[in-house]
Amino acid sequence: MSTGFSSNMTFIRRSFQRQNKVIKEAKHDNTWRDYALIFVPYLWMILFFLLPFLIIFKISLSVTEIAIPPYSPLVTFEEGAMQIILHLENYTSIFTDPDGTYIRSYLKSLQVAGLSTIFCLLIGFPIAWALATAKPALRNVMFMLIIMPSWTSLVVRIYAWMTIMKKDGLINDCLMALGIIDSPIQMLQTDFAVYVGIVYCYLPYMVLPLFSSLMKVDYSLIEAAYDLGCRPVKTFFNTLIPQTKSGIVAGSMLVFIPALGEYVIPELLGGKSSILIGRILWQEFFNNRDWPLASAVAITMLMILVIPIILFYKVERREQEKINAGK
Amino acid sequence: MENTPLTGESKTSSPEARKNAHLPGELPGQKPSPEAQNRRPILEIKALNKQFDNFTAVNNVDLTLYEGEIFALLGSSGCGKSTLLRMLAGFEKPTSGSILLDGKELTGIPPYKRPVNMMFQSYALFPYMTVKQNIAFGLKQSKLPSKLIEERVDKMLHLVHMEEYIDRKPYQLSGGQRQRVALARSLAKEPRVLLLDEPMGALDKKLREQMRLELVDIINSVGVTCLMVTHDQEEAMTMADRIAIMDKGDFIQIGGPREIYENPNCRFCAEFIGSVNIFDCHLLSSNAQQSLIKATDFNNLIELSHDIDLADGMPLTIALRPEKVYISHKKPLEETNWCEGVVENIAYLGDISIYYVRLTDGRIVSSTLPNVDRFKEGLPTWDDHVYLSWDPESCIALTF
Repeated sequence: MSTGFSSNMTFIRRSFQRQNKVIKEAKHDNTWRDYALIFVPYLWMILFFLLPFLIIFKISLSVTEIAIPPYSPLVTFEEGAMQIILHLENYTSIFTDPDGTYIRSYLKSLQVAGLSTIFCLLIGFPIAWALATAKPALRNVMFMLIIMPSWTSLVVRIYAWMTIMKKDGLINDCLMALGIIDSPIQMLQTDFAVYVGIVYCYLPYMVLPLFSSLMKVDYSLIEAAYDLGCRPVKTFFNTLIPQTKSGIVAGSMLVFIPALGEYVIPELLGGKSSILIGRILWQEFFNNRDWPLASAVAITMLMILVIPIILFYKVERREQEKINAGK
Repeated sequence: MENTPLTGESKTSSPEARKNAHLPGELPGQKPSPEAQNRRPILEIKALNKQFDNFTAVNNVDLTLYEGEIFALLGSSGCGKSTLLRMLAGFEKPTSGSILLDGKELTGIPPYKRPVNMMFQSYALFPYMTVKQNIAFGLKQSKLPSKLIEERVDKMLHLVHMEEYIDRKPYQLSGGQRQRVALARSLAKEPRVLLLDEPMGALDKKLREQMRLELVDIINSVGVTCLMVTHDQEEAMTMADRIAIMDKGDFIQIGGPREIYENPNCRFCAEFIGSVNIFDCHLLSSNAQQSLIKATDFNNLIELSHDIDLADGMPLTIALRPEKVYISHKKPLEETNWCEGVVENIAYLGDISIYYVRLTDGRIVSSTLPNVDRFKEGLPTWDDHVYLSWDPESCIALTF
């Protein structure tokens, strides 16, 4: 009995040691299995992001032709000579367009996305705060209320807003019945409706990162600030904002980036006068069949987004490294 | 152990009766009471009460803090000590009662307007600010001129010996250094009362012992009145001038470290501070010269050299500290104040040894012996028959 027990123990100890050894080895050099594991997401990104991006980039350097596909080839062979022709006129025409249509729609898109992000932040912060400070049972209910609308189709939700905001819609009917207004307000086909739609649709993407960073907040810092004579509003900016910076940035990006290229919401709710970049892309691709110009518009938009994002990540990583070094 | 009701009784008895329960007389080495030093009261807590739903956290307590003293609230977790501290800081609203600071009512004033500062258990240093910015934070809130802030920060850094670390961020500091910065930050505004919440809670044992006296030195050099909360009795005894033992929202005893150790006013305090042998007894006779007491655990009588204000035959508790119990192979000559037994166990702690002696009726009594002589012979060992004796003055008679 006792020998059996001790030999068992020896066996367990040995296998434990062996396991430890394996873990140590895995830490020091990556095995083919590790590479195989990393390769899967990389393959996905290469196939479905990098490759399409390169194709679009290639198209943006050509000119339209009446052909299938409707653009000139990048590489041609003529009498044994390989010619690579890079047409940059798509890019130059974006910036030198006599009407300034493209520049204007870029600026308009930036304005709509930027303001929507700010509105989302202003509305989302109190919601995230309420979530973070709620009791667990209530919190689950609140979560469901925030997330459930996004289980229905975006188009359905936008149509719902259309019926709410139209001339004989819910809002106008209520205001008229209450005698606040005499004639219905034009809400659809205005920028107001676009902001309502975008803020409504993207609010959960702002609330969730804010909530997760608010859950990590050290509340004793708020008390410390109070204790040292800091008034409530100032305390908010001095303690809560710095601690939730990462959540604010993440939420803002999740709202700003898709809002910049948003097509459906402004198309359904917005007026014909406000032309956003999403509609320009649609028109160039499908109405004018000018694929090269459309591609150039898309690439330019990507650059507008990518450059600040890269800069931001560099700064953020440097901060993170500093903190990690301290730990 | 049949008289458990004794502790139950202490709850129902009036505080007045408890106050008079302990022995009279000044203890040598005891600091005079703040009243005796004619110190000015700075903070007065009157009938302060805090109710959470159905739970009383702080139960109508009264307390006066005197200028320049370090006062410790000592108790186990959940006794209400932290709630009391948080009410003083303004983070909790009292259910009833009042807090007077320099005679002015403090309840209802928000924390950011109170001339009171707190050092948090976690220190709560702002992680995104440097040491200097942390210390200057409170001063900036009161909109002092920047030159004055600069001077005050330098003074504080010098006080806590952190001049070299002025531009570090909190994560670049060790635990002890963070504590110094936290202390400097809470002292920078020259608060009327400094609140310390478990000041050593976040430090390891070695550093804790070192920082205790250093913290007291700094606090004394500034001269600030200080109220600290701790569950560590050693910490309270080394740092505080006066200690309040708290249990279930009540103050059980208030006194100097020596007083609460040597003259606990009830069984709870005797058992809470240090270790103690408790004997269930009843009083045989008592007069001005001596009192004779019969313990249930051994045959010999206990003799006290003073009067006990209790009717003959009434039950009482005798508390005896282990270091005041002598252990010997020789039978004492006296007829009272000793008992006999067999050494059941010896715990060697280096500086002292604790002997656990089983009395003939099975009860275990502990006695400590300082290990003065390195190679002393003739000490009792396991299974030796030994005699335990004590001086009449060593016994503490407790009626609650």
